[in-house]
Amino acid sequence: MSETGLYCYAITRGLDPAALEGSAGIAGAPLRLVEHGGLGAVVSEVDLAEFGEEGLRRNLEDLGWLESVATTHDAVARLASEQVPTAPLRLATVFLGEDSVRARLGEWHDAASRALDRIEGRGEWSVKAYVDADAQETPAAEQEPAEEMGAGRAYLLKRRAATQRREASAQAGAELAEEIHAALEGGTVLSRRLAPQDRRLTGHTGEMVLNGTYLVDASGVAAFKDLVARLASEHPRVRLEVGGPWPPYTFASLDPQ
Amino acid sequence: MTEQGGPLVTSGSRQQYQLSSDRPQPANLADILERVLDKGIVIAGDIKVNLLDIELLTIKIRLLVASVDKAKEMGIDWWENDPMLSSRSRDQELEEENRDLKARLKELESGRE
Repeated sequence: MSETGLYCYAITRGLDPAALEGSAGIAGAPLRLVEHGGLGAVVSEVDLAEFGEEGLRRNLEDLGWLESVATTHDAVARLASEQVPTAPLRLATVFLGEDSVRARLGEWHDAASRALDRIEGRGEWSVKAYVDADAQETPAAEQEPAEEMGAGRAYLLKRRAATQRREASAQAGAELAEEIHAALEGGTVLSRRLAPQDRRLTGHTGEMVLNGTYLVDASGVAAFKDLVARLASEHPRVRLEVGGPWPPYTFASLDPQ
Repeated sequence: MTEQGGPLVTSGSRQQYQLSSDRPQPANLADILERVLDKGIVIAGDIKVNLLDIELLTIKIRLLVASVDKAKEMGIDWWENDPMLSSRSRDQELEEENRDLKARLKELESGRE
């Protein structure tokens, strides 16, 4: 390795450095903790040829590289967040040495502490709602065109009916998503709706009408899952998927939400 | 050419969360990218990452996703082969090479008989 930098995954509070022993980060480099003022930054060494300004500019455009770094970044944030309050950093935060990591921890101490207070003892849970295309489409009462109706007119009527059905089902999907999100919001500390993902990116079937993320107290997880299950049984046309706990990417931000 | 309708970004560890599972499961790539690129706390490191670059990349993926239908209608399928956008294309290259080599081998073998 030529020149190295420190890739910073997350800011933690109360993490025992021994908890990182034996775990590896990007490119298999060992994880370690840089501590300052009661906070600990989880870091590992990276090659600056890859993670310097020029390298990053090039590599961020490479989806294979991005996949591998993003997956590792998430795995490390997860490792920490399973043990102590953890604020994951955004991808590719790189320092030149421990001193500058400490300086930055000092600079952001109060804001980071507030973020950690907010998420302590809580997890980020994702709930997605899908509506299958055929379930969404209300079966059309196929009316036989009247004898005297011309083929052209019949065609136009059919087209118009199809458009109306599509609009109605999109509207129904949006309302359903709103209803489910509102119900879930009630039992959670904070919530946020993310943009629905596209199936061409994820490979899911049906249409994703809700991509919600929720900050849930550890003590409330069972109730939250029960609520999801109940909503799923109340809405048989909707498929609900619950995921988590995620490291609190959405809720550990430095700005008050 | 890859089939229509498959995931654009594939990940070996992709798995869907199911209601029945209580165990945390590996997330899919779209879920991870959505969070590590757009969320997480932003602290400036010593290496200037142009967050703009990251945003551009995200936008690029989104644009790509938004325009796939339209592009397919027009018979454009560059994203299937663009190494920047598809991790498959490298595999595809290898596959093609492999196929060519096999064909040549077969030719040679049949010639020897």
